Amino acid sequence: MSLPYRIARLTWLPLVVFLLLIVALLWLTLIHDKETQRKTLISDALWMGQSLHFQFERNAAQLAQIAPELVTSDISPQTDARLRQILRAETSLIRITWLDAEGNTLGTVPSRPAAAHAQIDPDLIQFARNVTRPVYGPVYRAAQGGHQFKVYVPAFTDSGLLGISVGVYSLEALLSRDLPWWFTQRYRVSIVDSSGNEIAARSHAAPLSDTLTHSMAFEPPGRGLQLHIVAYREDVRWIPILLISSIVGLAAILLWSFWMLRRQLVRRVDAEQALRGETLFRKAMEDSLLTGLRARDLDGRITYANPAFCNMVGYSPEELIGMDPPMPYWHPDHIESLQKTHDMILSGHGSRAGIEVRFMRRNGEPFDALIFEAPLIDANGHHTGWMGSIMDITERKRIRELARQQEERLHATARLITMGEMASTLAHELNQPLAAINTYNSASLNLLSAEQTSRDELHEIHTKIARQTYRAAAIIHRVHDFVRRSEPKWERVQLNELIREALELMRADAHKRQIEIKSRLSNALPQINADPIMLEQLIINLVRNAMEASAQQPRTRRIVSVTTALQPPHIILSVADRGHGIPPESAKRLFEPFFSTKQEGMGMGLNICRSIAELHHGRLTFEPHPEGGTIFILTLPVEQESVPQ
Amino acid sequence: MNTACAHIIDDDEAIRDALQWLLKTRKIPCVTWPSAEAFLAALTPDWHGCAVLDIRMEGMSGLECFDVLRAQGNELPVIFITGHGDVPMAVAALKKGAYDFIEKPFDDSDLVAVILSALEIDAERQRARSQNLAVMEKLTLLTAREREVMELILKGKYNKVIADELDISMRTVEAHRSRIFEKMGVRSAVELAQTLKGIDA
Repeated sequence: MSLPYRIARLTWLPLVVFLLLIVALLWLTLIHDKETQRKTLISDALWMGQSLHFQFERNAAQLAQIAPELVTSDISPQTDARLRQILRAETSLIRITWLDAEGNTLGTVPSRPAAAHAQIDPDLIQFARNVTRPVYGPVYRAAQGGHQFKVYVPAFTDSGLLGISVGVYSLEALLSRDLPWWFTQRYRVSIVDSSGNEIAARSHAAPLSDTLTHSMAFEPPGRGLQLHIVAYREDVRWIPILLISSIVGLAAILLWSFWMLRRQLVRRVDAEQALRGETLFRKAMEDSLLTGLRARDLDGRITYANPAFCNMVGYSPEELIGMDPPMPYWHPDHIESLQKTHDMILSGHGSRAGIEVRFMRRNGEPFDALIFEAPLIDANGHHTGWMGSIMDITERKRIRELARQQEERLHATARLITMGEMASTLAHELNQPLAAINTYNSASLNLLSAEQTSRDELHEIHTKIARQTYRAAAIIHRVHDFVRRSEPKWERVQLNELIREALELMRADAHKRQIEIKSRLSNALPQINADPIMLEQLIINLVRNAMEASAQQPRTRRIVSVTTALQPPHIILSVADRGHGIPPESAKRLFEPFFSTKQEGMGMGLNICRSIAELHHGRLTFEPHPEGGTIFILTLPVEQESVPQ
Repeated sequence: MNTACAHIIDDDEAIRDALQWLLKTRKIPCVTWPSAEAFLAALTPDWHGCAVLDIRMEGMSGLECFDVLRAQGNELPVIFITGHGDVPMAVAALKKGAYDFIEKPFDDSDLVAVILSALEIDAERQRARSQNLAVMEKLTLLTAREREVMELILKGKYNKVIADELDISMRTVEAHRSRIFEKMGVRSAVELAQTLKGIDA
């Protein structure tokens, strides 16, 4: 499995922990809430029990207080008012009966049929007398419905029991009147007897919660009665719900954002991987490229170099990057021209066709390179530098040069062969009439030495001899015609132009031989009548000779100077070399045809040159160079009066 | 054209004509041919004399013509006329049995001398050939037995040895011997051997 997926999976762990914490928090909150409710319930229940207890105590105390008045005398209006006070509508005490010390019923309020009296339990009266405090009786079902119980309150004087007042409590009234409104709102209160039956209850219509209940002894009256309190279903408690839902909401947002984050991460990792793959591919391409690549900023400092370029020049990329010109791989002999090329490129005038330069490897080996420069445009379209691709063309150049030399040699050979063939044909053709003439001549001699000479025969033979001489002359004439086919084509030409063209043609050769050609051309030259092709051939011949003469010289002497000057009525062209010079024995024969000092020379070059010069009414001479070497001087007339047509 | 003459084969009319004049003034019979093809077309085996062939000609060259001649078994002596630079070709032709070559432009007396000597050689050969023909004719007169005996005589064997080898009597051998000498027109074994020299019996 790939790395990013492992990362993505790891991030689930804190998420799960987080979710667990949320759930725990929720759970704890719920527990706490329930506990709080329960506590509230219990404290409320206790409060209610206490409150009922106080109610009973106070009622008992009032009954005890009023008892002497009830027992001893007729009921005075004050007593009556007090009774009514006690039995006021909002209490659960519904009736008061009073008895004398013997247990006879003296009166009852509100007055009731006597049957009520029978319900007074003498045992409880006795018991109350004995314990000298109020005693509660059991709950019974009242005749008129509902449940009631009684309280027996003994009243004593100093002499003993005075009487007993009995208060009747209605459970229903108790529940409906003695409980505060908020309590009954919140809880259902019921009274359960000892056998578990509910005998009275106060309830709302709302369904009951079975979770929050509390039971406690209903004492007084006691006797196994129990108060059972059940909390109504709680009203919606908005705050915790809001709290919890906001927590859940936040958790959901968190989850969502986490999921988004994760998706983003996966995408990013995917993109990174794709990018890395692409980068690696591009790097591999750059590394396996055979063409050298190098980038430079606008100041010409190297900012990038690919391995092919590094291999080419022999420097490591670390060494190359940040380098300023002049670069260490520039050939020391060409630093000036390289700097010029460099400046030209930086100024945006580089050639799109590529520039040929000479570099040097670190080990000092020179090599020829072909550079293509293009502006480096970044993603925002800003021009940030220059991108160059460099090809090592040394081998290619060498092969080209070899091919050129071979071709030249071939041409020379072909020329030689053609000349040889021409000479051979000429010889054969001329041989025929000559041989015939010779033979006729012998025959006529034979005739002359014979005894009888026939004049007719002699005449015939000599006529034939004459015919053969005409034939020979015709052959010669044909050769001349053939030569005449390369007649000059006269034009108005500017000698300097021809020289520039010729030097351009020679440039590559001179560069190869590391010969410097200096030209100093006069601006004052008038146009002349000449055959441009012939004249250019003459110039090329002279310059090539000069270069060949310089070839074996040390570098400082490998200089060929081409100069033009106007010396009315002549134009002077001189081609000077600092070569080996011309030995005197060669000097005499220099212009002879088939004389050559060169191994492969045909010995026609200077001969043709002189012919061309003479054709242009000029002269070709030479003199030794004062500093060694030779100067060839072509003198051409400015105005040629008559030009051969 | 049974008489011996020099056959001049050259595609250059002037050369042909000049040579004809030259040979005419030296009284040498000659015939000229404008090309090798014309010469070969007219050629019969009984022609004598010599052929003067220009090496370089339009159409069939002199060398090719020479090869055809030799292939036909014609032993006419051939003299090549070569131009400048054709010498190696001429030398090769010499090795193949050409008589001689003359370089153009030629010294006419040299050429005439070479032609004369070639004609002489050819005449000599002609004579030898006619002599051989006579001997061959005589040989046909011999019986088979006489031929056998003659071969043994030519090997230089004595009559006795011959008699033993052929299982015949000495007398018979002697009789054969005298008849052979008679038929061949010789008087001794030595003369017989001389006559038969150069003939493939």
